[in-house]
Amino acid sequence: MSIEKHTMWSFFSSVKLTIAALVLIVLVFIAATFLPPDDVVQTFAHQFSPGAAEIILFFHLSDLYHSPLFYLLMTLLSLNLIICSINRFPALWRQYKAPHFPEPADSFDNLPQSLIVTEAKEVSKIKLIVKSCLEKKYRSSEEVDTEIGSIFYAEKGRFSLFDVCIVHLSILVMIAGAIIGSIFGLEANINIKEGESVNIATLAKGDGIQQLNFSVRCDKFIVEFYEDGTPKTYRSDLSFIKNGQVQRRGTLLVNHPLTFDKIRFYQSSFGAAPEIKATVTYTVAGKKSGSLALAAGDTFDLPDSKARGVVLRVEENFMQMGPAIKLRIISQKKDIQFWVFQQLDNLLAMKPDLLKEMPIFNPGLFTPFVFSIDRVEQTYYTGLHLVRDPGIPLVALGGLLMIVGLIIVFFISYQQFWVRVEKEGAKIRISIAGRSNRNDQQIQKRIDSLCRQINEEMKT
Amino acid sequence: MSHTMILSWVTFIYFISFVLYLFRLITGKEFWGRAASFLAWGGLSAQAIAMIIRWRTSYSLGIGHIPLANLYESMVFFAWTIMLIYLIIEWRTKSKIIGVFVVPIAFLAMAYASIAPGIDNRIEPLIPALQSNWLTSHVITCFMGYAAFAIAFGYGLIYLLKNLDKDKTEKPAGFLEKLPALATLDTLIYQSIALGFVFLTIGIMTGSIWAHYAWGSYWSWDPKETWSLITWLIYAIILHARHVRGWRGKRMAIFALIGFACVLFTYLGVNYLPGLHSYLRT
Ligand code: HEM
Repeated sequence: MSIEKHTMWSFFSSVKLTIAALVLIVLVFIAATFLPPDDVVQTFAHQFSPGAAEIILFFHLSDLYHSPLFYLLMTLLSLNLIICSINRFPALWRQYKAPHFPEPADSFDNLPQSLIVTEAKEVSKIKLIVKSCLEKKYRSSEEVDTEIGSIFYAEKGRFSLFDVCIVHLSILVMIAGAIIGSIFGLEANINIKEGESVNIATLAKGDGIQQLNFSVRCDKFIVEFYEDGTPKTYRSDLSFIKNGQVQRRGTLLVNHPLTFDKIRFYQSSFGAAPEIKATVTYTVAGKKSGSLALAAGDTFDLPDSKARGVVLRVEENFMQMGPAIKLRIISQKKDIQFWVFQQLDNLLAMKPDLLKEMPIFNPGLFTPFVFSIDRVEQTYYTGLHLVRDPGIPLVALGGLLMIVGLIIVFFISYQQFWVRVEKEGAKIRISIAGRSNRNDQQIQKRIDSLCRQINEEMKT
Repeated sequence: MSHTMILSWVTFIYFISFVLYLFRLITGKEFWGRAASFLAWGGLSAQAIAMIIRWRTSYSLGIGHIPLANLYESMVFFAWTIMLIYLIIEWRTKSKIIGVFVVPIAFLAMAYASIAPGIDNRIEPLIPALQSNWLTSHVITCFMGYAAFAIAFGYGLIYLLKNLDKDKTEKPAGFLEKLPALATLDTLIYQSIALGFVFLTIGIMTGSIWAHYAWGSYWSWDPKETWSLITWLIYAIILHARHVRGWRGKRMAIFALIGFACVLFTYLGVNYLPGLHSYLRT
């Protein structure tokens, strides 16, 4: 049992496993990017043979990123990382806490070093100089006295011992964030027509729906283009309505999501709604009404006369005569239908007795109301993408840790210096030795510069 | 002079600089090396000026944006970062040898940008998805990474070339002798890979942050994303093989070539793969 446990443990803690798993993951990714999209694979496989389709289904070849194979590899990798880290940590901790004296055996023989021999008499003065030089460069120093003389110690960057740990931890933190996001996150889409509000979203995966506890209204959707026809701006003016009240208004642009009730909204698509809308006004006794935005099928009430209007048709260009709508007005006495043209004045200028020939083109047929239209335009719907991802803080933290860790791995090292001051007959001998946790040529340079500095200080 | 005119000259200058580096390598005369470096610095500065002019021109066209927004602009920037990082390394190591292997990569990138079919050098307006400050930091960090990997590739080539000669008993032939020692090359390969790795990591992260703001998802397994991850993993494998299993020398050199092939595929090859974001396509 214990041997089995042992072999399992060493299996999971081997770097060979890391490399093998990483190579396999790379292969899975390569396959995934070269396989054509899902639907193409499915149709192709069905034509080829039903067996092929089953194999594809079994291995999730059409979506390798969410296949059991990929999850298995990621699990292996994570276990590998965790177990390796557990294995390494005690030794690292001991190294971190290791006493600095006595200096490593043979330091002054084997490590990179430098030497000064001076005629100066006062050991105590020299010691002070050494101490102050070390403290200038490395903030603090320690000192012990031995039978041959005194040894000083200074160091830099001890925390960089944990560099690899930080990088590996960052990967685990990111994986954790991704898992949390995929379990507890929400991703959905909604399409909202201008002027309408929606409180149900379609889930991005599968075909479920998500009831929101607020509703979103699209007040306006605007597309702007550059001169060459490239889209410049997609913009939705949204209102978020909760408990019957508008709680927040905002402008949504690509790259500038809005957040409401912990859900982030993204501008993701848009489209032309099937209907077009006309902006209609009417005048009674010289007084102009407010404008109504009407699509085919909409109804409206006329004041005072207990009449009701129905929009039968809205046309962007009716029989080459420009924008027009067809209205039906129903009152207790009458039920009539007629057309309203936006450019009636132009039409009359061309054909002065138009209204006599075609009474149905008279916008004032339902007296005393005279209708007109300001414009007829396409209405749009805006496509919003909704996301709630509780894993994001962890993923971001992981990213930060990784950058910090990598910078430490590649650019910072743990450097230790020992300086021995001893009497040698009439002279004083100062030996400087040092080491770093990376095979770093810099250490000799640093020792030399320390040496120069001590020399200079002794002269003054 | 228009900026495209300057860029054509820069392409030519890089080519001459490459030829001079070649002279330097073959004759061993320092004079050629100095002339090559001088031209390279001149080309780098002229290119920087051209990019700034392009930037300003875009503002006068009313569609102002930093010139990092399409394939042409990124290719030109790629060449520039390669030259920049190379010249910094040259200045620090005082060795004018690898110019022979690196400057032609910059030259090829410039030439490709101006003659490849389907690469348009017009200044184009930014579609909404690209209107983000993350675009700038993303492109700059990615291309810094790519450039460092390109340089590791150059060192890898030199290593393999020199290595061909290693087993022969007689004195190495001609210019091979003048190449840096294998151990030095090995260190240089490692250092450029490490630098590239840090930049690529930051590049992937800034891209992710941008995707988070633009699409609401920091990762969506788009082929380009996946390939950048593949490249990252390949270099991670190389780093582990070196640190943990002690791989050195020839294997590192070969991996530097494989890694750079991945970089190129991520940058250019991915466009030929099936399935891409169908984002606000109109
Ligand atoms: C892609 C995800 C990664 C995985 C799965 C992974 C996994 C591992 C494992 C299992 C070890 C062996 C530890 C041991 O021997 O005790 C290791 C070592 C190491 N890893 Fe990673 N690692 C990853 C990413 C990185 C990155 C990005 C770096 C940064 C450059 C890195 C740097 C190192 C180093 C330097 C060592 C050697 C540690 C030593 O022996 O002192 N790793 N890695």
